[in-house]
Amino acid sequence: MGKAKTDKADGRVTLPADCRIADLPAVKDALRAALTAPAATLDGGAVERVDTAALQLLAVFRREAAARGVAVAWAGASAALHDGAARLGLVQTLELPAATPA
Amino acid sequence: MSTVSLAQFHQTFFDESHEGLDAMETALLALDGGGDKELVHGIFRAAHSIKGGAATFGFPDMAAFTHEAESLLDELRDGRRAIDAGIVELLLRSVDCLRGMFARAQSGQPLADAASEALRHELAAAVGRSLAPAAAPARRADDASTGWAISFRPHKGMLAGGNDPLRLLRELAELGELKAEAELDRLPGFEALDPSECHLGWRLELRGDVARAAVKGVFDWVEDECDLSIEPLPGAEVHNAHVPVAAAEPVAAQSSAPKAVPREAASAESGSVRVAIDKIDSLIDLVGELVITQSMLDTFREDFDASRLEMLQQGLAQLARHTRLLQESVMGIRMLPIASVFNRFPRMVRDLGQKLGKQVKLELVGEQTELDKTVLEKIGDPLVHLVRNAIDHGLETPDRRRAAGKGDVGTLRLEASHRNGSIVVEISDDGAGLNREAIVAKALQRGLIASGDGLTDDAVADLIFQPGFSTAAVTTDLSGRGVGMDVVRRNVVDLGGSIGIRSVAGKGSVFTITLPLTLAIIDGLTAVVGGEHYIVPLASIVETVQLRDQQLRTVTGGGELFHFRDAWLPVLRLQDAFGCGGGKRAIEQGLVIVVEGDGGRVGLFVDELIGQQQAVVKSLEANYRRVAGISGATILADGSVALIVDVAGLSRRMTRRRAA
Repeated sequence: MGKAKTDKADGRVTLPADCRIADLPAVKDALRAALTAPAATLDGGAVERVDTAALQLLAVFRREAAARGVAVAWAGASAALHDGAARLGLVQTLELPAATPA
Repeated sequence: MSTVSLAQFHQTFFDESHEGLDAMETALLALDGGGDKELVHGIFRAAHSIKGGAATFGFPDMAAFTHEAESLLDELRDGRRAIDAGIVELLLRSVDCLRGMFARAQSGQPLADAASEALRHELAAAVGRSLAPAAAPARRADDASTGWAISFRPHKGMLAGGNDPLRLLRELAELGELKAEAELDRLPGFEALDPSECHLGWRLELRGDVARAAVKGVFDWVEDECDLSIEPLPGAEVHNAHVPVAAAEPVAAQSSAPKAVPREAASAESGSVRVAIDKIDSLIDLVGELVITQSMLDTFREDFDASRLEMLQQGLAQLARHTRLLQESVMGIRMLPIASVFNRFPRMVRDLGQKLGKQVKLELVGEQTELDKTVLEKIGDPLVHLVRNAIDHGLETPDRRRAAGKGDVGTLRLEASHRNGSIVVEISDDGAGLNREAIVAKALQRGLIASGDGLTDDAVADLIFQPGFSTAAVTTDLSGRGVGMDVVRRNVVDLGGSIGIRSVAGKGSVFTITLPLTLAIIDGLTAVVGGEHYIVPLASIVETVQLRDQQLRTVTGGGELFHFRDAWLPVLRLQDAFGCGGGKRAIEQGLVIVVEGDGGRVGLFVDELIGQQQAVVKSLEANYRRVAGISGATILADGSVALIVDVAGLSRRMTRRRAA
């Protein structure tokens, strides 16, 4: 079960499989780093479990990125991630692509 | 699928809640004066009923507001908190606020506003809680609904407490078709965000045949950790594809503006009367009697001979008696105790007294005296005016009272009673009384009188009712006595009543309002003018006189005057006023009815008088159109129509003509 990782060069953040409240401090650190890159890429393809806290963090991240002029793209979004975002009415806010098979 | 519209119960809920609010206010005022614990229980019960009703009938804002008031009352009830003036004040303001909410509910507007929200937070703060910002503006549920609009705002700590909104929303989605719109307005910046705190909120629409209890059940565990309101979707249909749903709105837009509210033409004035059950029972009894009498009379149809004449007469007498009783009973249905008007005064007197630094003891007498509903509705404002004036200008401040050798506390007394078939309402105070010199000076200045010499006290007091008297800027101590007094008199006169004042300098004033029991039936004198029948209301008649020609004086401009009890009164020939020719011209041939109306006394010249009778008033306005000088019509025993003379209007017209 991988932790959130940031690749400094392209601001790529890979979200962990268990993307829930307990692991969010690490995800937040990774996202903070991504905000310093010219463009950020979120990879949510591996997310198996997600909760409100995580989706809220992502929403805040996207707003911050937009405010700073950092472009954000999705490298993948699992069905679990998509489903959670849809349930909370956050798909538009997160600009999630259609779910990719996990 | 059949659905029950809750809207049909709204009016009852409003009526009952108004009574509850009145009871709350009365109890709070009593509490303010050091009442006992039982009062708190009463207030709590009233608040609780309103809260329950508000939640049931789809007024979540009201329920939320009452909930906070109830929490505070709960602490008072348990003795966890002492009752002090501040709390009573806060709760009184809450009562006012709820009244405002009810008024808005009745006109179909959103219930919560900035003021109510502020007060709600104040109430919560009083019990040591802080609330999240206002929930999304509520909409009114008017109609059958097959779904729920849910406003769900978790408190910050909900996530850390192990409750995940995502899970709750998933559960909701299992109940029906769920649309979620996230509210992002409270999201902090990235750095400021503690990922374990919840800053999101949701507006949800759950469509489907779902019980409220089921929806509420989902939130059972988080009730204390969120602001939640659940109300029926207005007129939603499960398959209604073209209902604009929330998701179509820009997500990030903070919705502070209320959504379009589906509105039914709700008239603010309730067209209903609540009637005591014993009144209905007596009606049913009477109708029973009437049926018996009718069947008794029916037997005469088959075989009647002169020997049974006496029985027939008895039957007819019985019929007459029952009809009269029935009429009284039916009129009684419209009769309501004046308490509903009096009840507003304890609060008003308290607030005014505090504001003006005066100590006022209010005495209410005869609150159970019953008045026609229409009269009751219209007498409120004049009474408020008089009470306000009495406190503002009649009663003195404690030090001035002491200087005048009176106790610190002034007494204001409202008394209602039956007198000679009328209702008399007296507003008396033991204040300074009218200031004769100041009134005379003012009247001279405004040209209402030529000189103050020889004016009786009554005549001076009467000056304050003159229209010109009140238009001046409020500068002198007495001017308040005159502000709007002409309006007060006009309102009373329009109700077919009269108003008078007695005042003793240094001792106080008494305003006496005399009102008819009902507006639907008047006692009148039938007069003939040019072959037509007219009814002159008995209440306005002073006397009937026959004049001789030499008693009549003609003044410049063609007006006629006659001398009547130390005064010269104008003669109004009704045949001229109503344009019906063929009447008698010579003053000796006819009669003059001296009537007292709005502007003073006038002599109405008529051909002859027929007699006194009760007249059932029919509106001319509703059936034909408004006619100057006529207040209505009635149908006589022979089926012909008689017009009812509008004495107040005619005398106003005469006064204006004289003034012009």
